[in-house]
Amino acid sequence: MKHLRSVLVAAVACLAAAAVVRAADTKVIANESVTASSISAEELKGVFLATKSVLSDGSHVEPVLQKGGATHEAFLKDYLGKTDAALSTYYRSLVFTGKASMPKTVGSDAEVAAYVAKTKGAIGYVSAGAATSGVKTMDVK
Amino acid sequence: MHSRVKTFALLAVACVTPTLYGQFDFTMAGRKVQIHSFGSQGFAYSDENNFLSMKTSSGSFSMTDFGANVSSQLTDKFRVGAQIYDRNVGKLGNWEPQLDWAVADYRFKDWFGIRGGKVKTSLGLYNDTQDLTFLYPWALMPQSVYPVDSRGDTIAHIGADLYGNISLKNAGSLAYTAYGGQRPSDKGSGMVYGLQTSSLVNGNFIVAIGKKIDSYGGPVYGADLRWTTPLKGLLVGASYAHLDVDTHGSYLSNKLPYLLTSQDKTIASYVQYTLGNFNFAGEYRKENRFNYFNTASGAAASNSQNARLGFVSASYRISKRLEVGSYHSRIVPNWLANHGDPKNHIFDQAITTRIDLTNYLDFKIEGHFMDGADIDSTMSRGFFAASNPGGIKPQMKMLVLRLGFHM
Repeated sequence: MKHLRSVLVAAVACLAAAAVVRAADTKVIANESVTASSISAEELKGVFLATKSVLSDGSHVEPVLQKGGATHEAFLKDYLGKTDAALSTYYRSLVFTGKASMPKTVGSDAEVAAYVAKTKGAIGYVSAGAATSGVKTMDVK
Repeated sequence: MHSRVKTFALLAVACVTPTLYGQFDFTMAGRKVQIHSFGSQGFAYSDENNFLSMKTSSGSFSMTDFGANVSSQLTDKFRVGAQIYDRNVGKLGNWEPQLDWAVADYRFKDWFGIRGGKVKTSLGLYNDTQDLTFLYPWALMPQSVYPVDSRGDTIAHIGADLYGNISLKNAGSLAYTAYGGQRPSDKGSGMVYGLQTSSLVNGNFIVAIGKKIDSYGGPVYGADLRWTTPLKGLLVGASYAHLDVDTHGSYLSNKLPYLLTSQDKTIASYVQYTLGNFNFAGEYRKENRFNYFNTASGAAASNSQNARLGFVSASYRISKRLEVGSYHSRIVPNWLANHGDPKNHIFDQAITTRIDLTNYLDFKIEGHFMDGADIDSTMSRGFFAASNPGGIKPQMKMLVLRLGFHM
């Protein structure tokens, strides 16, 4: 019984560590016009699901997504809880019923960083090691 | 001939779609503008009966629809957009293009916004997206709840929505919509087709007594509440809709004016759960409808329906290009009568395979195993007396193929 408990504890610890590593694979960046330096996971989810356009500090934000890739998949899984296909379906259901516009989508970390740097209120995600000059990195709480 | 030309034109558009970019964005007067479109071409073949006013018993391609929208975010809080929709399904739609929605949307806060114009109606899980079959694995949405022939009855209202999204912190979030307005007249609907081609006499719809329908519409109001729960992937919700409909016309035989006044109250509850590539959904509705009308002899008459309807569905995406699924859909138009009477129920078991040929082009193969065939021109579900002059068989199987695009 003790052995089983140890295995369970180890398994939970491994899963928790894996989750931390996945979340650490990406970083959230924002245009310098966004005054907040941190964002809650709940706010982040709202921004990328088009239910939230204003952060708690009053900054208006606009999401930028990547078209695909490991960073994109990790971000969707860690923060939105949706697959890429499910997210596409979700956005299309809004766009074709007049409830939202399709968000900006670009192809790489560099393109996200460039778009965020030049676009007021833009908020996006890149891999943790990506170069991101001219933007601010936000803490996700 | 005219319909065939349009059908082939749509197929041609669908075939060149893979060469196009997924959406069309441009800037006009400093504002970003987006254009999107979708369309589909279907084929249906049934071993018995003619479904949805198509000649499905001999195989029918008369199942085509198309939509296109343009929208722009004018300011951080203000958006405008509009969509046209056109369809031809058997005797329904008749290629008459409709303004599907046209909205001006001002979001004061994330928890409070107003959208006005012609607005898609929030009712149940899929009412506002029921035409957008590219969103789903199904070639035909569950017809008990989202009937192709009656889509115009609830699809949109000319009026306004109050809407918002409220964070419940650790308890998830709550999205609400409250709406009111006028239901637009849809003269290409199944209800109008049913009323034009038959009349209720002593509980039976008689094809020989037809009518000319001049107008059909009325006020509608309701609300929808959907809770994104803290359990990842689980959404639950409830809706209420109240519709008053006045139908004006005249009997063909003696030109006597015809007036049908209907009151319809619908309560819906629904659930959706997504776990990775699995998707489960279900919806249950209680719909009460009271009809007051005059017969061909001028006598006042009435009838009522106390219906129960719903579906459960499950689907699984096997790969990026392949998804399979099944649903069970059922309606009992008169809950107080014998549910076993084939004229008082439709049970539909569907199995489907969706193949995503590209990111913008999908093809579906779907089998339906239907039991029961309610014929009712005021709560129609695809079975019309005029389309089935030899009578309705209580059971049928149907194959539906559908090729669709969206961009």
